[in-house]
Amino acid sequence: MLRHKWIPDERRLILMIEAIGLKKVFSEFVAVDNLSFQVNQGEIYGLLGPNGSGKSTTMRMLLGLLRPTEGTAKVMGHDIITEIVEAKRLMGYVPEEPVLPERLTGWEYANYVSDIWKIPRGSEREKELDELLTLLDIKDASDDLIETYSKGMSRKISLVAALIHQPKVLILDELQAGIDPRGAATIKEILNGLRSKGASILMSTHILEIAEQLCDRIGIIKDGKMVAEGSMDELRLQAKGEKSLEEIFLDLTGGPDMQKIAEYLGDVV
Amino acid sequence: MTLSDLWVLLKQDLTQSYRVSGAKGKRTKQKSVFRRLLLPIAAVVIGVVIVWVIVAVVPLVGWDTLGTILSDNIGAGSSLFNVLLLFSFIGSIMVSATTVGNSSKMEYLMTMPISLRTLFLEKTIIVILYSSVFFLVIGTPIFIGLSITSTAPLAFLSVPLFVAMMLVISTLGVSIGGLMGLLFSRILAGRRRLKQVGWFLGSTLAVFGSIIYYYFFFASNGLGDLFPILIQIASALGLTSGISPGAATSTLSLGFLVGAPVTISEVVLALIYGVVAISLVNLNAYVSETAHYSGWLTSGSKRTSKTKTPVLHETWNPRPIPGFTFNTATSVSIWYNLTNIRREGRVLAQYLVGPLRFVAIIFLGLFAGGDIVAGYTSFIVIAVIVPFVISYAVSFAGYELVYEGRNLMNLQLAPLSMYDYVMGKIYSSAPFALVASTIVSIIVAIIAPSLWIYIPVVIVSAVCINQAAGGIAANAAAIGGDFRAERLVTRQRGAQVQMPIRGWSMLRAQLLPNLIGFTGLSIIMGLGVFFGPLFAYVVLVPFGLICLSLSRHYARSAGRKLTQKEASDYL
Ligand SMILES: Nc1ncnc2c1ncn2[C@@H]1O[C@H](COP(=O)(O)OP(=O)(O)OP(=O)(O)O)[C@@H](O)[C@H]1O
Ligand SMILES: [Mg+2]
Repeated sequence: MLRHKWIPDERRLILMIEAIGLKKVFSEFVAVDNLSFQVNQGEIYGLLGPNGSGKSTTMRMLLGLLRPTEGTAKVMGHDIITEIVEAKRLMGYVPEEPVLPERLTGWEYANYVSDIWKIPRGSEREKELDELLTLLDIKDASDDLIETYSKGMSRKISLVAALIHQPKVLILDELQAGIDPRGAATIKEILNGLRSKGASILMSTHILEIAEQLCDRIGIIKDGKMVAEGSMDELRLQAKGEKSLEEIFLDLTGGPDMQKIAEYLGDVV
Repeated sequence: MTLSDLWVLLKQDLTQSYRVSGAKGKRTKQKSVFRRLLLPIAAVVIGVVIVWVIVAVVPLVGWDTLGTILSDNIGAGSSLFNVLLLFSFIGSIMVSATTVGNSSKMEYLMTMPISLRTLFLEKTIIVILYSSVFFLVIGTPIFIGLSITSTAPLAFLSVPLFVAMMLVISTLGVSIGGLMGLLFSRILAGRRRLKQVGWFLGSTLAVFGSIIYYYFFFASNGLGDLFPILIQIASALGLTSGISPGAATSTLSLGFLVGAPVTISEVVLALIYGVVAISLVNLNAYVSETAHYSGWLTSGSKRTSKTKTPVLHETWNPRPIPGFTFNTATSVSIWYNLTNIRREGRVLAQYLVGPLRFVAIIFLGLFAGGDIVAGYTSFIVIAVIVPFVISYAVSFAGYELVYEGRNLMNLQLAPLSMYDYVMGKIYSSAPFALVASTIVSIIVAIIAPSLWIYIPVVIVSAVCINQAAGGIAANAAAIGGDFRAERLVTRQRGAQVQMPIRGWSMLRAQLLPNLIGFTGLSIIMGLGVFFGPLFAYVVLVPFGLICLSLSRHYARSAGRKLTQKEASDYL
C-alpha cells in the first residue's frame, strides 16, 4: 500500500498551513479578502462556500500559482512568498479542472509527473504507480490517450499524479465531484489513511455530507471572507442548536429565496 | 432549419469574435477602445485610402486608357478570380472536418433547439466570410473607386456584383474544400495511426504546393507564368476559362465597370453558380451532420474491448535522444516535447517541412536575380540552413513552450529546475537541425565537390546556431507567449487567431538568431575560402562556444520568467 513514511506520529498539532490575511484582487475585483486560517498536522480541513467565494483562488495562492495581493501563508513554516519552492515541495494538488496533456497515455503521464518530481525511475516507483492506478480502477485505461478519458477518470489520474511524491500537505479542489461511488469510497479511505499517517489535507467541496464525514474542521467562506470556522461541534455551538451542516451553511451564506421560488413556480403552472 | 436560427447563430458568433463593447466587470482586464476597434478601423481606413488614391490617380491616366486596359483584360480577371477560388478551396480542405471534430466545444449550441445542420451551416458561413473578407476589404473600395471614375452609365452596379460574386466564389471554394475534407475523414475514420500519417502527408503536400507557388512567383516572369499554368490546370479540370466561376465574376463586374455589353447567358451563368454555391454549402452542412452522428471524427480510440487483458508496462526509461544522457528533468522534457509533436501528424509536418516555405522565398528570390549569384549557388545553399534550423528552434523551444499552457502548473508545483526543463525543449530540436544540415551539406557537396571539406563545419555550426536560437526563442516565448493559446491544429477555424508568441517577442525570437547565424556562418566560410579550411575550423570553436553559452544564458532567463508566471496567465 501507500508507503507514507515521513512523519513521526506523536508530533501532533504542528501547523502545516497557516494563512495570514490572504487577499487577492483581480483587476478591481476582490476575490479573497483578508483570509486567515490554520491547518494542523493530521487534520482534514474543509473549505466550504458558495460558487465564486474564493476557495480555488485561496488554494492557488497557497500553492504559489497566484501571488497574494496582500498577506501571506506558511506551509510547514515556509513562507509561500519567500520560500515558495520549499513550500511547494511539500504539497500535492488536484485542481478543480484537471490539467492534462491529451496526447499522452495515463501511464506516460504518471511517469512524466514522477519524472518532473524527480522520483527515481525504476521498479519501485512503477509498482507504486501500478498500485495507485489499480486502486482507482483506471489501470486498464492506462495505455489509452488521456483525450479518451471521461471526467471522473481524468480526476482520478490527476489524483494519482498528486500522490506520487507522497506530499505532506494535500490540496484537493472539489476532488469528489464526478467520481463514482466506489471511487469516492476508495478516496475517502485513502484520505483517512493519509490523515492517520500525519498528512494534512485542505479540501474544498460542495458536498456537505463529505465535509461532515471527513473533515476535522471546516471553514465557511463567503465573498472571500471567513464567516465561520471550527469543528462540526464548534459550528453547532456557534449556530446555537442541533443544526445540520446544511442548515448552518445556508444560514451563513444565504439559503434559497423561498418567496421568489414560489412566485416562479406559480408563474409556471 | 430556419433562416432566423441561422441569423441568431451568426450574430452570436460574430459578436463573440468582434466584441466592440468590452466587458465592464471588475474581474475583467480592460482593453482600450482603440485596441478593440483596431481591425474594423483598419479596414475602413484601408478602404477609404484605396478609394481616395484611385479617384486621385485615375484622372491622371485618363479613364479611357484605363477602361481599355480593363476591357482587354477581362480574361486575365477571370484567371485572377479563379485563383482566388483555388485559394479558398485549398485553404478550406480541412475546415468542415475540423469543425465536426471540435463539436464538443460547441456542446452548448448543440443542445439548443436547432438542427445540427443549421449549426454546421453557420460555422461554414463564418469560414466563408473569413476567407473572403480580405479580398472584400481590398476589392470593394477598388471597385467603388473605379466606378466613381468610370464613364460607363451602370458602373456602380459593378460594386454589389463584385461583392456578391466574391461571396459565391468563396462559398464554392469553402464548400468543395469542406466536402473533400469530410471525404478524407470518412476514409480515415477510426484509424488513429493512419490518420496521423494522412495528416502528415497532407500537410507536407500543402507546404510543397505553396513552394511551387513561390517558385512561379519568383523564378519565372513574375505572376505572368503562373496564370497560364493555372489556367491549364483549370481547363484540365473542365473549368474552361469562358464558363468558369472566375469568368462569370470577371465579365459581370468588370463588364459593368467599363460598360461592355453583358449578355443574358453571362447573367444566367452567374445565377447558376449562385445556386450551385448555395446547394453545395447546404450539402456540406448535411454531410457534416452525418459525419457528426456517425462519429467519423471521434478520436480513434481502441477502448472498445471490455476483455480483461492485463496491462503490462515496460520499465520506464525513455532515452529521447539516442546516445546522450541528460538529467531527469531535461530528459523528460525532451521526451514530452517529442512525444507531443510526434503524435500530431499535422504539427510534425508543419514544424519539419514548414520552414521550406521561407527557404523557398529566399532561395528562389535570389535565383530570380540571375547570373550574378550563379557562381555562389553552394554558398546560398549553405546560407539557407540558417533560417531552417532557426525555424526548428522557434517551433520546438518557442511554440512548444507556449503550448505547455496549463501544464505549466505541474511544472511550477514540482521541485524542478525550470532551466533544465527549458533546456530539454531546446535540445529536442537539435536532432532535426542535425539531419537538415546534413542533407543540405550533402546537396552542397554534390553541387560543388570542392566544398566537401566544410561539411562538418556547416553541420556543427548549424546545430550550434539552432541551440542559440532555441534559447532565444524560449526566452521570447516566456516574455511574450500567450500561454492560453491553443495549438493551431485544434483551433476552430474562424476563431480569432491566437498567435502563440506575440508581436515584438516573435521578432526577438527571429532577429537575433538570424543575425548571429548569418554573420557567424559568413565569417567562418569566408575565412575558409580566403585563407584555407583550417581557419574555418579554428573559428568554429569560439563561434560554437558563443552559441552554446547564449543558449544557456537565455534558457536561464526563460526559466526564471516561467517560474514567476501567475496562474491567471495560463489557466
Ligand atoms: N483569473 C481570474 N481573473 C479574474 N477573476 C477571477 C480569476 N480567477 C477567479 N476569479 C474570480 O474570483 C472569484 C473567486 O473564484 P474562485 O475560483 O476562487 O471561486 P470558488 O470558491 O473556487 O468557486 P467554485 O465553487 O465555483 O469553484 C470568482 O468571483 C471569480 O470570478
Ligand atoms: Mg473553485
